[in-house]
Amino acid sequence: MLMTMTGLTLTRLIVSHPTTFMKYRTMRPDEQRYVRPPRQYELPEYHSDMKYSTSKEPYLRPTRWCDPREPEVIAMANELGAYELADRDFAEAAFWFVKENIDFEMCPFDGVGATLRRGTGTCYHNISLFIALCRAAGIKGRYKLFAINYDRASRGIEEEKKRRGIEEPSGIDVVWDGLYNSLGYLMSEAEAEVYLDSTWVVAHPVLTPQLQAATGIPITQLGEDSIGLFFDVVPGTIQRSESIPLGLASGMRLLFTVMPGSPERVSVSQMNAGVYGHHVIEQAGGREAYDQRARERFQFFPRTVDPEDRTALVFED
Amino acid sequence: MVVAEVTSRIAKLNKQLAHYIPPRETWNPVDEALFLPTDLYQVPLEEAQEMQLKAIKCTFTHHYNNNGFYHKYCTTRNVSPEDIKTVDDLFKIPLVPDLTFKQYPKGRDFARWLESVFTGDLPKIVIKGSNPTFDDVIDAFSASGVVVTYSSGTSGRFTFIPRDQKTFLMSEYAGAKSVINMWEGYDPNTNGYLMFPNPKKTNVFVGKVSTVYFDLMKDVQVAIDRVLTTEVIQTAMSGGRSLKGLVTSYVQNRTQQKITDQITQWLGRNERKEERICLFGAPYILYHVMDKLQAAGTSFDFGEEGMVVTGGGWKIREDVRIPVRDFRKQVHDVLGIPETRCIDLYGMVEGNGFMVHCPEGHYLHTPYTYYKPFVLDDDLMPAKDGEWGRFAFLDALAGSYPGFILTGDKVRMLEHCPVCARPGPVLEPEVYRATGEEVRGCAEELRRVLAQDLGGNEGDSV
Repeated sequence: MLMTMTGLTLTRLIVSHPTTFMKYRTMRPDEQRYVRPPRQYELPEYHSDMKYSTSKEPYLRPTRWCDPREPEVIAMANELGAYELADRDFAEAAFWFVKENIDFEMCPFDGVGATLRRGTGTCYHNISLFIALCRAAGIKGRYKLFAINYDRASRGIEEEKKRRGIEEPSGIDVVWDGLYNSLGYLMSEAEAEVYLDSTWVVAHPVLTPQLQAATGIPITQLGEDSIGLFFDVVPGTIQRSESIPLGLASGMRLLFTVMPGSPERVSVSQMNAGVYGHHVIEQAGGREAYDQRARERFQFFPRTVDPEDRTALVFED
Repeated sequence: MVVAEVTSRIAKLNKQLAHYIPPRETWNPVDEALFLPTDLYQVPLEEAQEMQLKAIKCTFTHHYNNNGFYHKYCTTRNVSPEDIKTVDDLFKIPLVPDLTFKQYPKGRDFARWLESVFTGDLPKIVIKGSNPTFDDVIDAFSASGVVVTYSSGTSGRFTFIPRDQKTFLMSEYAGAKSVINMWEGYDPNTNGYLMFPNPKKTNVFVGKVSTVYFDLMKDVQVAIDRVLTTEVIQTAMSGGRSLKGLVTSYVQNRTQQKITDQITQWLGRNERKEERICLFGAPYILYHVMDKLQAAGTSFDFGEEGMVVTGGGWKIREDVRIPVRDFRKQVHDVLGIPETRCIDLYGMVEGNGFMVHCPEGHYLHTPYTYYKPFVLDDDLMPAKDGEWGRFAFLDALAGSYPGFILTGDKVRMLEHCPVCARPGPVLEPEVYRATGEEVRGCAEELRRVLAQDLGGNEGDSV
């Protein structure tokens, strides 16, 4: 379904805006190109005696693009303290590892091992990596998927720059914007949830602290929801899943084939935002100081109230 | 100082609304803040602040102890009732952005979501169907005494707010008292015209909020006397430029014409009989009536027997706002009603505090004994006096949901009215939407919904 809708949407865009499509399909010679940053960490060596979960239980077993048994994942999980630290402490370690070290890059879907080797990825790569590390350590992990109002998210950087009096554009790709908005409910964003102390705990390990500083938002921690802070969710679209939705990878592959310029522009935009965010943190006097001021300024809004089963409602078929 | 006439006015109000007022012996600080003052806008500041602090703290404690999501939120923000000791501490109370009440799922989960938003324990509510609609759930809640009102922005996404009976009745009383406090010579022997939907036939806020109007007036005619559901509102708000949008626009014009004619006839009948009248509702409806009368060279002269109370925003058509001052002048020129008897009401589905124009200066006075308004700057910190910013409030009357709200409205607040002698804070007469927020406003909602012609099979007037 996702693949079909992506294809139809792309076709509609091409047919209705052929000039725009041709203009933005590939990177122009005068445009800034994306340069992948070097990986920020050493990959620990895998040993066959390293501990990892072999459970076939839901939320612990390998799923689409999220195999916790890949050697790189097992090695990194052990490096981070799997089976030595308490579950929550390990989840924190895995969360900050992904959040602080995996840079944003729009690239086609591939496995979590590849993400670790590359050191970059999309939100789904990052979330999958975090979930894989937790699953390797025997902690259940799942995806929380939702559709967002992309306008508000993409304007976040623009508004923050405007607030600070900075003129240069953020470089959000026009076609990507249009595609995202056209797909609407089918285009999903995601975050992770991990099962700690008998509760599912939300985690958004996608944006590095620098990227969050670029939009002026607090540096989210394990347990803090991106919905409401960064994402404005379209009502009724939140779903929980053990696995990445079928078709998402194919849809992405189609995008990269038909219009490779657009994903690269997003990568460039995020790369520049990261540089800007680094500057914001420095100016604030460090990460902690920045985060404290951002929390005072921004306020932490509970944008979602999760429906819970209580006792007053009686449902009859 | 409260003049004798106000005392008499409020005595009449309390007689009409006796069933809205709980027994005196059951009153808590919230009840006292609402029911005790004769004139909500003339309470000396120090006395009012004390009432306000007690009332808001009482309600905050209630939500902290009885609302799971809000309790969690307060814990994250490290604020508890023990931290609220003085008026200055009220700023610590965590605000819930209005968008929170727009983030709801569908079906049975919608009912569960309402239950999670609700403070305290719901009565037993039976919901039928494996995939109930929003209206199914709302009706089921209504049957158990919980009034779920909703309002919509231009995106068609609703804001749902559940009110238990106590919160609902207090809210209605508050709205009534707010208006009557500014209505010199109010008399229940008045004929009313409601330029909002019939509250008995809808839960849309712009309709339901008018419930008390029927208890304040001798007789009430209704402009939109038909069932309005979430489906109707949603279609209307997101009509667009499609074929459906064009049809919507055409039907809207036809429907508007019918209402205009009805109101004109009603005005004529009441003038001939020398009856007192009150028109309450969306200004754009009355604007069209007056426009037509002016074009025909017709006018009325109700004088002090007339009263106009508007609400819901000042858009008269797509992207066109009418200045409030011009509207008042038109009311005077065409209906003969003095500008001091043409006041506006500012409220929203998330709140139970209604800000009302003073007759003298037409600034929006806030009911500061139980409602704390404030304005936040771009950094979401309290703005300086007189600066434009984002409107927020702490509403002590909201007992069934945490009514400590950051809205999407842009306002300017002054410590005191620059014109009249009432002591409390006021807002500038015209309110705007903050940049990036979708358009809201009950009257705007209504303007679009008037296009929904369901063929008149229900025997409705529209």
